[in-house]
Amino acid sequence: MNTKRLRTIIPLAVIGVIAVGFATHVGVGTLSAIGWQDISLLCPLGALMTMIATKTMIPRAVISVVIAIALILLFARAFCGWICPVPVVSKIRGVFSKKTSNTDMTGTGVLPADENPLVKAAKGSEAADAPAPLSADEQAALSGCGHSCSSCAEKRATFDSRHVILGGSLLSAAVFGFPVFCLICPIGLTFATIVLVMRLFAFGDVAWGVILVPTLLLAEVVFFRKWCSKFCPISALMSLVGKANRTFVPAIDNAKCRESAQGTSCEACAAVCPQGINVRHPEAGMSFSECTKCRACVEACPTRAITMPFLPKKAAPSTVIVEDDETVPAA
Amino acid sequence: MAELEEKVPDAAQPKKEQRPVITRRALCVGLGGTAALLGLGAVRYAGSAPLVRPPGGQDEDALVSACIRCEKCYEVCPRGVIAPAHLEDGILNMRTPVMDFSANWCDWCTEENGGTPLCVASCPTEALKTGSTPETGALGLAELNQDLCLAYRLIGCRFCYDACEYEAMALDENNRPYVLNDQCNGCGACESVCVSLQNGSISAGATERAIVVRPLEA
Ligand code: SF4
Ligand code: SF4
Ligand code: SF4
Ligand code: SF4
Ligand code: SF4
Ligand code: SF4
Repeated sequence: MNTKRLRTIIPLAVIGVIAVGFATHVGVGTLSAIGWQDISLLCPLGALMTMIATKTMIPRAVISVVIAIALILLFARAFCGWICPVPVVSKIRGVFSKKTSNTDMTGTGVLPADENPLVKAAKGSEAADAPAPLSADEQAALSGCGHSCSSCAEKRATFDSRHVILGGSLLSAAVFGFPVFCLICPIGLTFATIVLVMRLFAFGDVAWGVILVPTLLLAEVVFFRKWCSKFCPISALMSLVGKANRTFVPAIDNAKCRESAQGTSCEACAAVCPQGINVRHPEAGMSFSECTKCRACVEACPTRAITMPFLPKKAAPSTVIVEDDETVPAA
Repeated sequence: MAELEEKVPDAAQPKKEQRPVITRRALCVGLGGTAALLGLGAVRYAGSAPLVRPPGGQDEDALVSACIRCEKCYEVCPRGVIAPAHLEDGILNMRTPVMDFSANWCDWCTEENGGTPLCVASCPTEALKTGSTPETGALGLAELNQDLCLAYRLIGCRFCYDACEYEAMALDENNRPYVLNDQCNGCGACESVCVSLQNGSISAGATERAIVVRPLEA
């Protein structure tokens, strides 16, 4: 089974387990507080907001935040790629528009091929018979593009709109004394929809919420196509903590990579990454802290040069250093 | 990388200034989102009626502050008496836990868990506070509407009286039940058995049963 299928099936299975748990009163909770009976791992954002709103330290919330940080350190945004129901729910967009997007909702995706300087550079050098040395323009493109185009600037900025909204979520919890974001969280709304629909059929519990909750959820994923990369404060939290992620980071075996081994341009990994990460030239794309560990790059690489080792291997001196761009010293 | 920079000597120069903390566009989008959240937060002041909450959730302000609407308490209740509050109860309360005594009632988990409320134990945010017991933690107060009650139409009904396990109901000289307010802890047993709505002629137009538990603060 390929990873892409698996990444749809797992969130659906999670939804299924939670729905069955709800119907049978076993106490697995929802993703907002998943666990067993009185042991729950709270959503880290919910945990922070509830503590800010009540101005108290809540032991289970503190423990949840610590565990969540540990998990993010290990897996960066893997939650987005493998567990979160929102990208799966967003597939419903296909019903509203025929256009298939090249992102999987979780990320900024890649630029359309004809606008992508990297792909252009790759095509340009493929056109030439021999793998010609890259022109200065292409070099510039590969090393991070010398032109100021807004999408590139956005990719390289330290913070983006998600981080501001994360701040806004915490601020609104402090100002109004309740977790405001929870009211519109698409993850919460997904499970609320399931619970409300189950109650509708089980108890005939008819309420406006049965219509409103799914409508709000659909509005969020349909109208905010870029929810995950532009709005989601949970994603912001993961990307912040994920800056320190060093495990399972895609790494290139330079002996196999077309570019380093044969001098041909390739960029297949950059083109396929839903997060806009350029594994070959990390400084040209988003930071690895956005990596959802989706394995798209691993599978797209024509020479199978990319792996996701548990720990980063020491890079040989002559190779391109694949590192979180945060740590690349400013020249 | 060092190699590349040598070939393009000034590539490093613009790079430095091209690494903004945040782009103007992103900041605007972010501030827009923040403004929306702050606007939504104002529902806190829109005023919302108190509701009948699960054990330990009687401090409305504390519950609304802490609850992350995780749905865990309604899941664990062995009697299924906790329901998500509806939009009709106010945006602020939506999806917070309320008691639904239509089919069952709350005994503080005495039967199913030896008296330790499972909802309180499983609430991860302490929105439902520990320490509530049938004796100390009234959920609400039962209110009998004589216009709807079958007994007051002399049809001879005392289901609620028989259901009450806390000796909070008595019968008057005509065998009509009434609530002893200082004994009632709002467990909902009476409401869960009330048959008044099943009687079409009397309940015509009625939306609730003849005996319902009302929130204490109301
Ligand atoms: S960005 Fe947010 S909504 Fe999107 S997949 Fe990640 S956690 Fe889910
Ligand atoms: S770098 Fe690879 S594993 Fe990470 S998000 Fe991009 S394609 Fe997926
Ligand atoms: S105390 Fe037990 S029966 Fe009562 S609401 Fe809580 S879980 Fe349900
Ligand atoms: S378990 Fe606690 S936080 Fe979760 S919905 Fe119930 S009261 Fe709210
Ligand atoms: S009067 Fe009703 S709500 Fe009050 S204690 Fe008795 S059964 Fe429970
Ligand atoms: S069960 Fe209902 S109708 Fe019957 S006596 Fe009690 S309140 Fe009246």
